[in-house]
Amino acid sequence: MLSQILLDSLIAGSIYALVALGFGLVYSTAGFFHFAHGAVYAAGAYLVFSAWSAGLSLYFAVPLAIVGGMLIGMLMEIGIYRPLRRKRASNLTLLIASLGMFIVGQNLISLIFGDDTKTLRTGLVSEGIPILGARLTKVQLGIITSSVLLIGCCWFLLKKTKIGRAMRAVADDPQLAAIRGINVDRVILFAFAVGSALGVTAATLVALDSDMTPMMGFYALLVAVVAVIAGGIGSIPGAALGGLLIGAAEQLGAWRLPTEWQQTIVFSILILFLTFRPQGFLGRSFDKPGTW
Amino acid sequence: MEYILHLLIMIAIYTILVVSLDLIAGYTGLLSIAHAAFYGIGAYVTALLSIHFRTQLPLNVMASAIVAAFLGVIFAVPLLRLRDDYFVVATLGFQMILYNIFNNWVGLTGGPLGLPGIPKAILLGTRIDTSPKFLIVAAGLALMVYFVVRRLVRSPYGRVLKAIREDERFAQALGKNVRWYKVQVFVVGSALAAIAGCLYAHYTTFIDPTSFTVRESILITSMVILGGAGSLRGPILGAVMLTVFPELLRFIGFQSSVAANLRQVLYGSLLVLAMLYRPHGLMGEFGFEK
Repeated sequence: MLSQILLDSLIAGSIYALVALGFGLVYSTAGFFHFAHGAVYAAGAYLVFSAWSAGLSLYFAVPLAIVGGMLIGMLMEIGIYRPLRRKRASNLTLLIASLGMFIVGQNLISLIFGDDTKTLRTGLVSEGIPILGARLTKVQLGIITSSVLLIGCCWFLLKKTKIGRAMRAVADDPQLAAIRGINVDRVILFAFAVGSALGVTAATLVALDSDMTPMMGFYALLVAVVAVIAGGIGSIPGAALGGLLIGAAEQLGAWRLPTEWQQTIVFSILILFLTFRPQGFLGRSFDKPGTW
Repeated sequence: MEYILHLLIMIAIYTILVVSLDLIAGYTGLLSIAHAAFYGIGAYVTALLSIHFRTQLPLNVMASAIVAAFLGVIFAVPLLRLRDDYFVVATLGFQMILYNIFNNWVGLTGGPLGLPGIPKAILLGTRIDTSPKFLIVAAGLALMVYFVVRRLVRSPYGRVLKAIREDERFAQALGKNVRWYKVQVFVVGSALAAIAGCLYAHYTTFIDPTSFTVRESILITSMVILGGAGSLRGPILGAVMLTVFPELLRFIGFQSSVAANLRQVLYGSLLVLAMLYRPHGLMGEFGFEK
């Protein structure tokens, strides 16, 4: 029983870590809460679904959806956020605009696909491989490994590559970065591409493991916000840890409390962190979102 | 006729909501996505009191406002230290927690089934049982809230609020206790929102959690932003537009589920367009541009 709960925490946590990482990457580089990340996430799942319904095998549908999600994220940046930044919009203005885009995205999905639950499953639910008294399906094994791999790649990208260093520079001080010859717009666009790809990857994994509704993006987004704040904005290990913490809190909470209080636990964590440690457990100063 | 009265009553209720949110978001610059939570508090307090104790309207209004103010203090004191966008996230978390309580605490709130059979309001011994009578009461309370907020924002107190909105450090340098002002405004705004909830509970005589969702909060915030934050007439105009507009969609004859989604798509696009081209809304003073 307990080993199954721990395993479920790890699976949920791996997904949340990916969403949080994508969201956090955009926040620290562009400096505002990109709520429309939730719409990109849901769009990703539905892109897989439509490609798959059109007869494509999942091996093509998933990469196609990831590319599609990246494009949506980049379009949001080029079409809306960049013009707003040009007008020196505050982070609140950007937040309101992204909330607007989130609402539009979610309701467009509802209009096109309907509000009912869609699934990619065809056959029976597979039984899963027994591990230490718990059961793990192949998809779930894939979730854990791809999450670990992608978090590692992100760490490498930010710490060891040129564009990663540019992203850290923009996160630290966009004006200074521009003076040093970094093309800030391009770096932010890159952050949107990577962030959206991470979010959509998480969404496709969820779609493969369970199912999808147009509303799935909202909760994923909120979890990402909570995970990023709990972990400490601007820290990759922080976002990953934050995701794992939310996954564990949800699953352990569901073990002891009725499941309908799961969300309440997650939001109580948010309020507790914002009250006592708004910089999160790995963040540095509060005034300035840290650097990666 | 009954239909027009219904629209007018809803406009009165939304007027209370937008004016009180405008005090918090438009005049003091604290963007909140938790207004529907306080609206819900007012509705549930009124419903429980009048179902179990048959209390009269004035007492319900007072009790709703006091409970909402109390919750507002609990929320505002620790969380108003936060920077502006973190504060938005905190209000979102608060909204979600309260919605979950409305939805899950079945013993108290009836859970998803809601609370049916709320008695009609009783004021000075008369039952407010017809729509025209209720409209008079609702409009009276809306006017009262409007004048309270107008009095506040046009006084020296209101000038301090605007100073905080425009430049918090500057207000602090003038010796104003910025955090204390913010807490006061948030608590007053929340208490006023609960009055709207009280009216709503008496009007519909049935409440359930779907009226107090984050979507409702976003709708109230959109009314303020699109109408124009930081002015009093703007948000009321926003409330009128966003209340009447969905009814027009219904007349055109869209299926109700499609119409609901279309409406949301429109609100969302309007928010984005407003931020791009008219952050002050139709007739506002403040475009969240600090």
